[in-house]
This record gives sequence, C-alpha cells and structure tokens, in this order.
Amino acid sequence: MANAASGMAVHDDCKLRFLELKAKRTYRFIVYKIEEKQKQVVVEKVGEPTQSYEDFTASLPVDECRYAVYDFDFVTAENCQKSRIFFIAWSPDTSRVRSKMIYASSKDRFKRELDGIQVELQATDPTEMGLDVIKSRAS
Amino acid sequence: MAAHLTETYACVPATERGRGILISGDPKSNSILYTNGRSVIIRYLDRPLDVAVYVEHAYPATVARYSPNGEWIASADVSGMVRIWGTHNGFVLKNEFRVLSGRIDDLQWSPDGMRIVASGEGKGKSFVRAFMWDSGTNVGEFDGHSRRVLSCAFKPTRPFRIATCGEDFLVNFYEGPPFKFKLSHRDHSNFVNCIRFSPDGSKLISVSSDKRGILYDAKTGDMIGELSSEDGHKGSVYAVSWSPDSKQVLTVSADKSAKVWEISEDGKGKVKKTLTAPGSGGVDDMHVGCLWQNDHLVTVSLGGTISIFSASDLNKTPLSFSGHMKNVNSLAVVKKEKMILSSSYDGLIVKWIQGIGYCGKLERKVNAQIKCFAAVGEQIVTSSFDNMIWRVPLHEDQCGDGDCIDVGSQPKDLSIALLSPELVLVSIDAGIVLIRGTKVVSTINLGFPVTACTISPDGTEAIVGGQDGKLHVYSVNGDSLTEDAVLEKHRGTITVIRYSPDVSMFASADANREAVVWDRASREVKLKNMLYHTARINCLAWSPDSSMVATGSLDTCVIIYEINKPASSRITIKGAHLGGVYGLAFTDECSVVSSGEDACVRIWRITPQ
Repeated sequence: MANAASGMAVHDDCKLRFLELKAKRTYRFIVYKIEEKQKQVVVEKVGEPTQSYEDFTASLPVDECRYAVYDFDFVTAENCQKSRIFFIAWSPDTSRVRSKMIYASSKDRFKRELDGIQVELQATDPTEMGLDVIKSRAS
Repeated sequence: MAAHLTETYACVPATERGRGILISGDPKSNSILYTNGRSVIIRYLDRPLDVAVYVEHAYPATVARYSPNGEWIASADVSGMVRIWGTHNGFVLKNEFRVLSGRIDDLQWSPDGMRIVASGEGKGKSFVRAFMWDSGTNVGEFDGHSRRVLSCAFKPTRPFRIATCGEDFLVNFYEGPPFKFKLSHRDHSNFVNCIRFSPDGSKLISVSSDKRGILYDAKTGDMIGELSSEDGHKGSVYAVSWSPDSKQVLTVSADKSAKVWEISEDGKGKVKKTLTAPGSGGVDDMHVGCLWQNDHLVTVSLGGTISIFSASDLNKTPLSFSGHMKNVNSLAVVKKEKMILSSSYDGLIVKWIQGIGYCGKLERKVNAQIKCFAAVGEQIVTSSFDNMIWRVPLHEDQCGDGDCIDVGSQPKDLSIALLSPELVLVSIDAGIVLIRGTKVVSTINLGFPVTACTISPDGTEAIVGGQDGKLHVYSVNGDSLTEDAVLEKHRGTITVIRYSPDVSMFASADANREAVVWDRASREVKLKNMLYHTARINCLAWSPDSSMVATGSLDTCVIIYEINKPASSRITIKGAHLGGVYGLAFTDECSVVSSGEDACVRIWRITPQ
C-alpha cells in the first residue's frame, strides 16, 4: 500500500501491528520510525504487554523524532478498568530541524492510517509526556 | 512526598516618603491588613508566623479593608479597581469594579456593609465615588475636590455622612444617601492626610501635613475644636486612629513619634502620652501609618518596622518586628545560630530564626545596595552595583568594620569556598577574579561572557558558566586557574551552579528552564530531564545530606528532586512567591526556605507520603 503525504509511504507492517495491538492486545507499545532512504514509515520497536511506561519512555531516542502508539490501562473513579490508545508524536527540542519537519508533515496522513487512536499527544521533551500528563489526558 | 507551608515571614507594608499609608484591621479576628506590591497581606497579631496573602490584583494594591461583619474584604489598587472577596473559603471573588480612573488612596465600608466609598486620583472629574457593594451602582455625586483625595470616611451611625479630604487642603462633607455636597472647610494649610469618624459617630478628626489635627461635629460638619498645639507634633501628621471608646486618638507623624490624645466632649484634644519606638532616629523611623485595635496600638514606620504598643499600659516597651519591603534576592543559612539571613536589593539584611520569626536587622556600616550575597561562618561577603566587594565580619547582630575590595568591574556572581573562607571567586563581565583574604590575587580574562561561577568548598576546583550555556571546569592551583574540561548540555545562559555539600556532585541551572546534576569526578550527567519549570531558573539549593536538590524559578514554583529517583517523581510547590522565586536554601533535611519578589520568606516542610 502506498499513499503519498509529503511523499512518505506507510509500510503495511505498521497497520498490521496496530490492529494486533487494538484487537488482540499483543503489544503494550509500538514505536514507528521514518526511514528517509526508503521514504517509508516502518515499525522500529514493539513492546510486550508486561512492559511499563518507563520502558516505553526509555525506548524513545533522546534526540531523534519518532511516532509512537501506547496502550494505557488505568482505573477510573468508579473503579472500572479502562484503557486508552495514545498516539504520541515525539519531537524533542534537541533533534534536527529536518527531522522535525518531516515527522510533522507526515503525521496527519499516518495517523489516519491507524484507525482507533483515542488520544493524541505531542511531546517536545520528556516532561511533556510524563506519566502525570498521560493520566490527565486519559480521562 | 509532598511539601506544605509551615511558616511565612511576611513582608512589611510598602511605604513612600512624604505620604502616609493606611492599614486596617478586624478587631474580632485580631488581624491587620496591609498591602505590598500586588499582594494584600493579612496578619494575625497573635500568630505572627501565620500570614495569608491575596495575590489576585494585576496592579500594585494600595489599601484593603474588612467589611463591618468581617466576612468580606474590599481591596483597591493603582489602576482604580476595587475587588471584593471573601475572607474565608479561599478568598473567593464576589465582585470587581473599576471605580476611579486613577489610583485609589482610601476605601471605606458603610456601617451596614452595603455601600463602599472610594477616593483617590482620577483624571479630571472623579476623585471620589460611592457605590453599592453588590451591584456597583453609584449612590451620590461627589464634586468639590480639585486635587487628589487622600482619605475618606463614612460616619458609623445614622444619619449617614461621608467626609473626604485631600491635597487641595479641603475637608468636604457630604450628606445622603444619595450623597450630595453639604459644606467644605479650608482650615488646613497643607495636604490633609487622613480623616476619621469616631466609632460612636459623634466627632470627626482630620490630620494634615501642617502638623495640626482639627475636630468637627460628625452630624453637622462644623468645626468644634482642634488638637492642642502645645506638645503637638513637629512634623506632618500622616495618619489618625480612634480608640474603640471614642475618647482617645492615636496620631503618627514624620517627627518619628506617635501621640495618644485625650479628646474632651467639647472637641479639644490634649496630649496624653508621646510614644517613640526604639530606633536609630534616621529617616526610616518616621511614622507613616497607625491603627488602634482593641488593646493594641500599631504603628508603621517608613523603614517598614511595625511596632505594637499596649493601650492599657502606655509605658510598656512595644513589640516591634519588621521584614523586607522589596524583592528578597538571596538567602543564606548560618548553621551555628540556626539563623536565616535574607537580603534584598535595597541593602537590607534581616535575620530570622525558624520557629520564632523576625529576629532583627543586620546593622551595616555601609548601606549600599546588595546584588550578590554569601554568608559562611562568621562572615558575609556582598557585592553591589559598583565595583566593590565587601567582606564584613559578623558579631551577633552587628556587622563589624568591613573590608572593601575593588574588582575592576561590576560583579555578576560570587562564591565563597566554604572550608577555606578566605578564598572568594567573583565573576565579572568577561572573566573571573580570585580573592584571597582582602586582596585580589588574580584577575583572569576568559574571553567569553561569564554569568555564574562557583568554587568548591576546599578551594581546589572552580566551575564557571557562560552565556552560551557551556560549563567550564577549572582547577585552582595557588593563584592561577587551568581549564580542565568544558561541559555542554545546557541550551541557555547558565544562571546558577552549586556544589553538593558532600562535594561528590554539582548541579547547574540555566535560563532555558533546565537543571542538570553532574557527578564531580567523572563529569558525567547524573540526573537529567529536570525540565519541569516554565520560566528561567533563578536559584538552586542542595539538602545537607546531598540527597535532594531544589530549584526556584521565575514561574513562582519551587521544585524539589531526589537524586536517586528519576526527575519525573518530583515535588512541586506552585505559587511559592508571586513574581518569582529568587532565593532558596535548605535548613535541615526536610525543610526548605524560599524567598522571592513578593518580599516574603517562606519555610516549607517536606513529608514523605
């Protein structure tokens, strides 16, 4: 499947893994990377359901942009277990401007490929995707 | 872990030379109200460390008053806004009105709490306005003044009258409601500073910069007498306050004394006692404000000292306390006496003791302004806006004669080597100066604009931060410095660098809201992602056991991080000081002292949850 959005194609694997996360809950998180040479968005890393939010933040590089999908489980005030699927556009201040531009322009089209995202978040430093921010956006 | 406020060392009322200030209070809760900057301070006379501060004004606040039932406070500011808010329940705002087009100087509630009269300065027309407290509708026409109206008063009993006085030397009298001009007196020959009705509603007194006080009948407005000129004030009388039984008044004046007068039935006043607060006798002792509440006679001096005399025993020495009036830009903790020293840029150094509060002002022989301040052992080193560094020994509460050292240009930051205090490192425009004792041993031009510097406690290592965000580590050998390493991580001008007490780490903070903790030996980053502030970081402090680091910022927050935990598990104290946090120190393992632009010093206790 190729679709143009600033010229970036989306690898089929990305959509398949996302559907697995949504339906079968086989992953806690998926990290996507844009491979400039192949002009594609590919899956870079996946996380097991046993892994935590700290493992997820550790898997994001400090000075490069990424897209990520995280399945966040929490308990609401009425004591029911709920989960939310977060789409995080990780664009740290320390990354290169070219990288930020490419990720920003391809984001919209890529997100539309992933049907079922509930909350979107953009983080430019680790404090903006801290656990307290996630918790407040979840409800 | 959470932090909560344990003590507040409040600021004192903002004063201005040549003008009086108006303080007010509530006899029921034994509290006094005054303003400083944009805050309205509520102080409880029996609990000096318990201070409530209202920070919602957008402009400097001028006067605040309790309503007669004590439930609401109306406060006014220089833009002409009056805010009416509740005393309890988190200061919830009831109403806000733009009353005058200029600064409001005085505000009074009517005795039934339904109307408020405000007076001040307006362009052209409106110098005084009276309105209903809940709807803001006008209840009278107030013409008759041509210049700023300094004070206004509402007669506390029916029939209602309003009296106003001002810079045009007039005392005006209005009848109503709806209030209309009745008559005017021009008996004073200078600004009439304050006008007050007696609590029983029988008399009215006005005091003026012509050193006199005149008494009028409250119902008709006719002059009935004056304060006797024998033994009267020798300077402008700035404020007046009646005793609750309406038989005596307290006046304060620029002649540095407060006088208690007995008012006889026919309206003549005789001096009963002259009260002088202890002081050095300088300009700072001129009295500018007063209040008679229950048994307390509260007077405020130009320098900000609040003295409380006892009304029943006029010969007792007064209780006096003070504080800062301006931005407190640095703090130092002197371990031996468990004292906290706070300094503000106008050159005032105040001593505080945790648990007790105000302990005294440090009398300095040189009263220059202070930009940087450091204290170690029994010495204080200060730098000002000129090229001098002053090294002053501390004997109890006096400063001895200091030594002055010329460093060539304005110091930006200074640091004392804690274990060998004769070594001081000062950063100036494009270099650093090393001082041993009272002599400059070397001045080194570093070639880059230097903003922050620190020297290790043993004096062997120095770290200098530049405007470009780079940290340069130097080793000190004798009188020269050799560069060891350049550390690049910060993305903004370095604002502060501090060694941990156990010297194994150092922390640096920049103007781009980031703080970093480094390991000293390996010069590697130990704790990063301390990016939780939203404005430049002004100050940084280590806990005595080197396990916690606290940062204070212009965004009014203090954030405390634990070295062993990731930066995201932090304690944030929001709104610590209106205007920004400028000084920070730890007094012990779980208490942090912070000071800021609002001229207050606060102590917070950290409790593990």
